[in-house]
Amino acid sequence: MASGYDRALSVFSPDGHVFQVEYALEAVKRGTCAVAVKGGSIVVLGCEKRSAMKLQDTRITPSKICLVDNHVALAFAGLNADARILVDKARLEAQSHRLTVEDAVSIEYITKYVASVQQRYTQSGGVRPFGISTLIVGFDPNDKTPRLYQTEPSGIYSAWKANAIGRSSKTVREFLERNHKPDMDREETIKLTVKSLLEVVQTGAKNIEIAIMAPGMGIEMLPVEDIEKYVESINTEKQEEAATRRPGGGRAAAGGAGAATIPTRPAGESAE
Amino acid sequence: MDALVSQLETPRSQQELYNSEEEQEQLALSLSPSLKFALPPIAQSQAWLRAMTDDYSNPNCPIKIAHGTTTLAFRFQGGIIVCTDSRATAGNWIASQTVKKVIEINSSLLGTMAGGAADCQYWLAYLGMQCRLHELRSKRRITVAAASKILANLVYSYKGMGLSMGTMCAGVTPQEGPALYYIDSDGTRLAGNLFCVGSGQTFAYGVLDAEYRYDLTDEEALELGRRSILAAMHRDAYSGGFINLYHVKESGWVKHGFNDMNPIFWKTKLGKGEFSNVTADLN
Amino acid sequence: MEVLLGITGKDFTIICASKAAMRGATILKASDDKTRNLNKHNLMAYSGEAGDTTQFAEYVQANVQLYSMRSGTHLGPDAVANFVRGEVAKALRSRRPYNVNLLLGGVDPTTGKPSLYWCDYLAALAKLPYAAHGYAQYYCLSILDKHHHPDIELDQGLKILRMCTDELKRRLPIDFKGVLVKIITKDGIREHDYVDDKQILPA
Repeated sequence: MASGYDRALSVFSPDGHVFQVEYALEAVKRGTCAVAVKGGSIVVLGCEKRSAMKLQDTRITPSKICLVDNHVALAFAGLNADARILVDKARLEAQSHRLTVEDAVSIEYITKYVASVQQRYTQSGGVRPFGISTLIVGFDPNDKTPRLYQTEPSGIYSAWKANAIGRSSKTVREFLERNHKPDMDREETIKLTVKSLLEVVQTGAKNIEIAIMAPGMGIEMLPVEDIEKYVESINTEKQEEAATRRPGGGRAAAGGAGAATIPTRPAGESAE
Repeated sequence: MDALVSQLETPRSQQELYNSEEEQEQLALSLSPSLKFALPPIAQSQAWLRAMTDDYSNPNCPIKIAHGTTTLAFRFQGGIIVCTDSRATAGNWIASQTVKKVIEINSSLLGTMAGGAADCQYWLAYLGMQCRLHELRSKRRITVAAASKILANLVYSYKGMGLSMGTMCAGVTPQEGPALYYIDSDGTRLAGNLFCVGSGQTFAYGVLDAEYRYDLTDEEALELGRRSILAAMHRDAYSGGFINLYHVKESGWVKHGFNDMNPIFWKTKLGKGEFSNVTADLN
Repeated sequence: MEVLLGITGKDFTIICASKAAMRGATILKASDDKTRNLNKHNLMAYSGEAGDTTQFAEYVQANVQLYSMRSGTHLGPDAVANFVRGEVAKALRSRRPYNVNLLLGGVDPTTGKPSLYWCDYLAALAKLPYAAHGYAQYYCLSILDKHHHPDIELDQGLKILRMCTDELKRRLPIDFKGVLVKIITKDGIREHDYVDDKQILPA
């Protein structure tokens, strides 16, 4: 179908596609889901964590959420190994920026840098685009406004209030679109993040990772026990809601108990 | 560790910071400090330069670089005062009396020139370009800290190759308020409240230090700047010409004239009775 | 005539540096900070060639921080000192060496042990209980030889430091505009409010 135009990276197809870049987006869609939500004064990153195998040492297996500088966190979806390289470049740039202009990078600056590296790998020969999308969050130096950006393999970057990337990101994004409110407090923001991830993560807290950024604080990884508490409270909420609704409408019973409260996820993991 | 460290190479040459080729290429476009200068085919460029240009040790040296200046800048309650003379000398020869030694980098940033006139003019113009690019790229005014660091890193990368500059960067930005930096060709970069630079610096310091307070009024500060430069122009043979006076405020800088020192000198002498060593009696 | 001094004690390291920034016959600044935080528990004080000093310090600082960012761990005082020495040594054999003298003060956050390294521009590195650079060596090392013990408390350390800075003020021919004092403990690096306005005259 691509009839040879997907061979070399730096070749357009006659209708203006660069297929390698589009294939990179496919790699992103196969990656585990990552979510970011801006609250009133914090920004939260959430990730779906692959179930560890029996003998895997989960304590030292690298996370999908990484720190680029003390005030910038990055989560990605796609090829883990590609991300490592990209994150390393971003870290180098963050320190280099401190060295040359004495200021820490702004979130927009480092996003632009990451995106420009990704773009560069779509326009030169002998290379392959980065198979990752990233969510970059944090706070500019001496600033209390939460920032959230997304970058894509093509080198596009964009700013968001809340967003998801990776597997089933469409489902999660739609969920966020329906439930995101401006100026949420800390609890609400974390809860929304966990809740949105539960849309695609069936196995609960042990497969979720949450990181919180607050102004001037650095990154805070939420302990599993805390995530569990959020998951539990969300589940009880759902049940309660289902219970109150059931006597009223016979419709809900027909839809099945599980789908009564949050009828969001389409059956199966349909590709977007 | 070695491998990691080699990634972030010594900052003295910006290009070495990046190791992969395409990054270098991109860098050359964005922040490369050196605009690819051809160097003379000489092993010891500094020694050679000194032999050719040092007027003091060899009065017959073939090249006489324009040197000698007094410039000053100080921070006070109402912003920053920047004041300079306007004389350029090449050896004993006064090459010009109307040099603009304050470079207007943008509407709120000023740079001053002391040392080699060409070096200052060229690199401050270059700094102006970098500041504008920074502004276009990041959608906000460059901080004085960042601007001064660009210049400091730049001159440091040429350390030992004969650059001669002593400059000050003064500006007001929303992030840092009024800020003043001293940068010289050794690579020194200092933030401070008050600096005098150039061959007449000691004379200017004398007057300025004695009456400087942070809570000077705008008028007092302007007058003190003017008077301090006048003192240096009067005593230092390599300073003179016109007094170039600027006031940097939150809203940007304001120019307070480019005035011939002579009427100001005589007004000071005859009006206030200062400079009593100079006789006004022509008989 | 830059002064650099370092003293270790039971659970702390004191680093002290003169505040004057001199160029030719002029003191350009009387509140200069000749130190850089390399990470939470390591401080480097420097003296030497203008320009080289800050460029080197900031370069090393960026690299130590980059290491932490990449590895997720912090370098301890010994690792930092040996890395810094390596960088001085590498530059020494290059086209343009860094002309810097260094003191590296740190506390190991896990063991709580203080450490002090002395490093000169020829990349000689020595781990010492107390150290100095420049003319301060000639005046202060004898004082420290007599009064220093490895297990002193912080207030005792500051008392010895006072003896040193008083002697420097008394005998050094050039005014170094007082000193900046920083203390490293397991809680991190803090600036010490060092009262330094008394005039001291030779007897």
